[in-house]
Amino acid sequence: MKNKFNRRHFLRGTGALIALPALESIGFRQFASAAENSAAPPPKRAVFLGFGFGVTQESWYPDITQTGAKYDLSKGLAPLVRHQKDITVVQGCSNQYNNEAHWGSTFWLTGANRYAVAGQSMANSISADQVAAQYLGQDTRFTSLQLGSKDAGGSGHGPGLSLAWDQRGKPMAGQNTPLELYHKLFSASNLPLAQRQAAIAERRSVLDAVLTQAKQVQRGLSKNDIDKLDEYFQGIRDIETQLGKEEAWLEIPKAKPPIHEPASGLKGKEEIKMMYDLIAAALQTDSTRVMSYRQPVQSLLQSLDITVAPHNMSHYTPGERMEASQKRDIAQSELLAGLLDKLKATKEADGSSLLDHVALAYGSNIRSIHYLDNCPTILAGGGANLTMGQHLALSKDTPLCDVWLTMLNGLGVQTERHGDSSGVVKKLQV
Amino acid sequence: MMTSDNNTQLPNMKKIYYSVCILAISLGALTQAAPPEAQLPKTHLKLFKSRCYECHDSLMEEGDINLEDLSFNISKDMKTAGTWQKILNVINSGEMPPKDEKQIPAEMKAAFLDDLSNQLVAARKVLSDTGGVITMRRLNRREYRNTIESLLGVSININALPQGLGAGTFDTVGASQFMSSNQFEQYLKLGRSAIDEVFDRQAAQSQKPMVLRIEPEKTINPANEKEAKAIEERQKQFTRWQVGVDKVAKTPENQAKIEQLKKKHPSITHPINFYKYADRLEGTPNAKKFGFRDSPMAASSNPEWDRYQLAYHNHYLTLPHREKGTYLKLGHGTGRIDITPKKLPPGTYNLRIRAGVVEGTQASRRFIEVGHPQRKVPSWLRGIEGAPVSKHQITGTIAQPQIIETQLEVGAHTTREFAIQERQPTDLKALWDAHNALKRSNGYGHPPAIWIDWVEFEGPLAAAEGQSMAIDWWVGHDDDLNELARALKILKQFSRRALRGIEPGNDFIKSLLGLFENQRKIGEPFDIAIRTPLSVILASPGFLYLNEPGNEKERRKLNDRELAVRLAYFLWSSPPDKQLLELAKKDDLHKPEVLRQQVDRMIADPRSDQFVSGFVHQWLDMERLDFFQFDVNRHREFDESTRAASREEVYQSFTHLLRDSDNGRLGKLLYADYVMINGLLATYYGIDGVTGDEFRKVRLPKDSVRGGLLGMAAIHAMGSDGVESSPIERGVWVLRHLLNDPPPPAPPNVPQLSRLEGKPLSSRERVLAHQEQAQCASCHRKIDPIGFGMENFDAAGKWRTMALYPEGDKKKNKANKKNMWIIDPSGSFHKGPAFADFTEMRYLIAKWKEDKFARGFTEHLIEYALGRPFGFTDEDLAMNILSSAKSKNYSVSEFFQAIVTTKEFQSK
Repeated sequence: MKNKFNRRHFLRGTGALIALPALESIGFRQFASAAENSAAPPPKRAVFLGFGFGVTQESWYPDITQTGAKYDLSKGLAPLVRHQKDITVVQGCSNQYNNEAHWGSTFWLTGANRYAVAGQSMANSISADQVAAQYLGQDTRFTSLQLGSKDAGGSGHGPGLSLAWDQRGKPMAGQNTPLELYHKLFSASNLPLAQRQAAIAERRSVLDAVLTQAKQVQRGLSKNDIDKLDEYFQGIRDIETQLGKEEAWLEIPKAKPPIHEPASGLKGKEEIKMMYDLIAAALQTDSTRVMSYRQPVQSLLQSLDITVAPHNMSHYTPGERMEASQKRDIAQSELLAGLLDKLKATKEADGSSLLDHVALAYGSNIRSIHYLDNCPTILAGGGANLTMGQHLALSKDTPLCDVWLTMLNGLGVQTERHGDSSGVVKKLQV
Repeated sequence: MMTSDNNTQLPNMKKIYYSVCILAISLGALTQAAPPEAQLPKTHLKLFKSRCYECHDSLMEEGDINLEDLSFNISKDMKTAGTWQKILNVINSGEMPPKDEKQIPAEMKAAFLDDLSNQLVAARKVLSDTGGVITMRRLNRREYRNTIESLLGVSININALPQGLGAGTFDTVGASQFMSSNQFEQYLKLGRSAIDEVFDRQAAQSQKPMVLRIEPEKTINPANEKEAKAIEERQKQFTRWQVGVDKVAKTPENQAKIEQLKKKHPSITHPINFYKYADRLEGTPNAKKFGFRDSPMAASSNPEWDRYQLAYHNHYLTLPHREKGTYLKLGHGTGRIDITPKKLPPGTYNLRIRAGVVEGTQASRRFIEVGHPQRKVPSWLRGIEGAPVSKHQITGTIAQPQIIETQLEVGAHTTREFAIQERQPTDLKALWDAHNALKRSNGYGHPPAIWIDWVEFEGPLAAAEGQSMAIDWWVGHDDDLNELARALKILKQFSRRALRGIEPGNDFIKSLLGLFENQRKIGEPFDIAIRTPLSVILASPGFLYLNEPGNEKERRKLNDRELAVRLAYFLWSSPPDKQLLELAKKDDLHKPEVLRQQVDRMIADPRSDQFVSGFVHQWLDMERLDFFQFDVNRHREFDESTRAASREEVYQSFTHLLRDSDNGRLGKLLYADYVMINGLLATYYGIDGVTGDEFRKVRLPKDSVRGGLLGMAAIHAMGSDGVESSPIERGVWVLRHLLNDPPPPAPPNVPQLSRLEGKPLSSRERVLAHQEQAQCASCHRKIDPIGFGMENFDAAGKWRTMALYPEGDKKKNKANKKNMWIIDPSGSFHKGPAFADFTEMRYLIAKWKEDKFARGFTEHLIEYALGRPFGFTDEDLAMNILSSAKSKNYSVSEFFQAIVTTKEFQSK
């Protein structure tokens, strides 16, 4: 803290006029207000955890006849009992356009219609986390972070590079191992400032060079192809935006890691647990305020000594496959309970817990087997001011995007719709 | 066949084609026939009248749904298709008609669902039909890798690049590709590492190649002797320690303690496990004084527990011919010969191995694998990381060893060490299980199979002539030019090659030169500074995109340079070579006789292997081959080596037909009296007299079940989950790829059958239950009989006559009469002929379905070649190609000759 303060004065003194307004808005607000001794409220955060292949419907969902605050957690959710007051289980939601029985994550946060764009075999739209990032991501080093795993292929997620899809419905990549994420969050460059500045300038010149070539290519193309090439231009623009942000943060050291560097090669349960620890660490250090995690299923099963292949497990019938599916449910619930423990135990400057300021969603677009209705959905945390401790049975086929919309509104995002939303879920609002 | 023949069949097309070339009249307007529609047959109106309109007519509109006004033309617009999708969904899920209303008779329902689901697929196609517009595409991952290789002579690792979102289309379809900031940065990074490698390879060429010779009797054997001695010593130490432990264990105090420990650790009563807990007793002699960390460590050297291990090591120490070589062990002990040079600059290396097989060794153990040693468990001197780089059959004996010679590529990202091991499954546990079973019978475990005399590793080898030329022109100094002029010359030349003959713009060159100068300014030497702009060229759109100027209002004929690019990426997945570009420059390439000659040349060129592996893999949905880890207990021989060889068999079979313009009939993929195999697959199939690693044509006996795709292990393995066969996957695959009658995608939300849960049923009984419900029957009556016809192949494609009940305990693998049933492959095609067994089914498909098969192949080939989905507007195109090919006995190469002469292939 002290360092930052000095540097800020230093900047002012040396007349770094361009950098200052930017710095005002990024990360310093909190500090500046702290200096004035008036505690600003901790920022709001959003976390989305998607687990691909769904759940065991017979044992994961609480009894539909017990709704409201008084309900018994199901067998599959039993490990969450200590958090029952801090989570809400929502039943009845689905993405009406998804007909892909093996795509648990592609449209989970977008609610898009795969066939919405004529001539394209696959279209998507912006995901809820990215909508949140546009609003919450301005003041942190990382606008949002997308977490994933190396075994996404066999985990029932469907196409995509993470849970996140950008403004134009293009897949967003992210960090696929805990180690990679750790370094992104906390590892500092050893290079002196001047060299890092030069490196950014160099990257800008590289972009300028390819842009001159792109313009040459663009000449003479048909309208259709110009649209295609526009993806390339947009990619370059995105990097420019990113460089602008990197530049603004160049002189601010990365946060000190609150946890040790993870071992390399973590798989399955250990991998998810470490990712969860890193999610808590990233939020705690305010490195980012929006995170999504497309969790591994295949390696989770392997780490639980389950030999059934994930796809086979998802098509469970009583016996070995169903047992595997239930074991998976419990392991995932235990992991989630662990994350909630961690978020509760981490305290903000004003003494409240981190969980009080996080809006967390946990679920999948697939219910179980080939079912895409009543998507498993658990909400947690106080970040979006949603009712907690509830078991809600919404009317059948409520758009899942209604939940995302309610969550986004609760986080302060002023938007009237998301995906195919029909309105906010009143029952979720405090 | 001449191109004119091609066009005579469709005189109109010919006319249009030429008018486009000469007058550039809008093609689109002329060829548009009535737009295709996806119509639901009116016969289903009855169902609607009797079961739906009561609530959902224009009067009631229950749930805001008015079915009376809904068009039966499903492809009318997106909204109509969407409503029909919902109707399909609610009927599939059993939601409609409501439970308390009159239900739809099963046969009526099945027929309706059959038509609706198929027409919906058709409607999606109609609605997404681009009318023949080809969206500009970029190099896909394969093409990017090949293009870099052809430009720079280095092979890069493309795993960092994301795969397309194709979802059912080819990786050549531009509309399904995407580009993002992340991907752009990957291109920059990969390009830079490729350029770096070129310089590294160049530097390595100036040094003398290294020769590393390993005589394992001088390294491995003495180490093994030491190891055996150490085990023996540890066992002696244990025995000494044991005496003390036994003594103190008898005290009443310790007896009470043992009683106490029993509650939490029941295994303490086991006479061997007991010693693990010795540290918890009073007065136990300190294990450290006996050389053990603690009592559990000491307990692991108990000769009672460990005697087999010592016997195993000692067995290998007493084998003959140890003075000259070593034996590779399986599962325990030194199983690898490691090649770990101190320095390993990038380049090509020669590996020579002198080896022989122990007499009497079973056929499946006569193979070695070369790869990178695993280092995750450093104490294990066995196992290689990931899939083997190459595998080799050993046909020599110890008396007459053979020398295996193979070349290994070392690139920037290659692990810098290699290892040789006996072929083995990656699942170690299964290997250990086998070892334990063997040691109970022979007293030591796996007998030796492979004997290695010596290993030689040499390189990097001098670059081939062409390769070194490709890099010399910029690495070599040109004294006549000043530095900037030299950089300019290099950047211009490289840009021209990278942009496939397009002249780079001045602005571009100027900014590239700027990048170079920046690097020089900060003190980088010339050879480093030039790398930045060179790698930027490899991330520029002119390199990444196959861009062809065009105009949405009218199609134009490609110029010859563009045609060369299309041809090369179609048939080679690589950039055009010199000859193609020179023909293009002379404006000769489009001439029919030249084009035909070039297609023949390109097919004969090894680069067309790139087409085969890329196209066939996607056409036949072969990604499924890698979906599952195979259960080693059940399918011991289907390891990574067999998996790779089985994939290669499919490619080789296709390539064989492609390159045989006289007899390369497409239908031979449905049935053939030969197979394309190597020694490994011959061993797997039980075919005698084939040895060696090269694939070759082998004639089959008359009654063989092999021959054609349906006899290939890869196809069966794809139709399994690694444990059991999946008749449904196989049936769907046959319908989709051989019969060109693809079933619609598996619908979501169909209630799963639960009536039969938990009962031991054969897969036939299980799957037949599918047909009880109309929702399932509509597709499964077509799928299931075909799948059952293939049940004599197990999950790994081996022939069988009995099968295990799926719910049997997989781990025990004990087959007995109770959990086995005799396979009954008989059945009949839906509304088609009956067959008694697999060979009859295959015969029927080969005899009657070749036209269908050829049609499906053509549609896929059009999609791949043009880089856009096959649409309804392509009907004439498909017929045109098919009739050309049919007139030449469906010769595979003829499909290619026909497609490249079409106006679609030759216009933008």
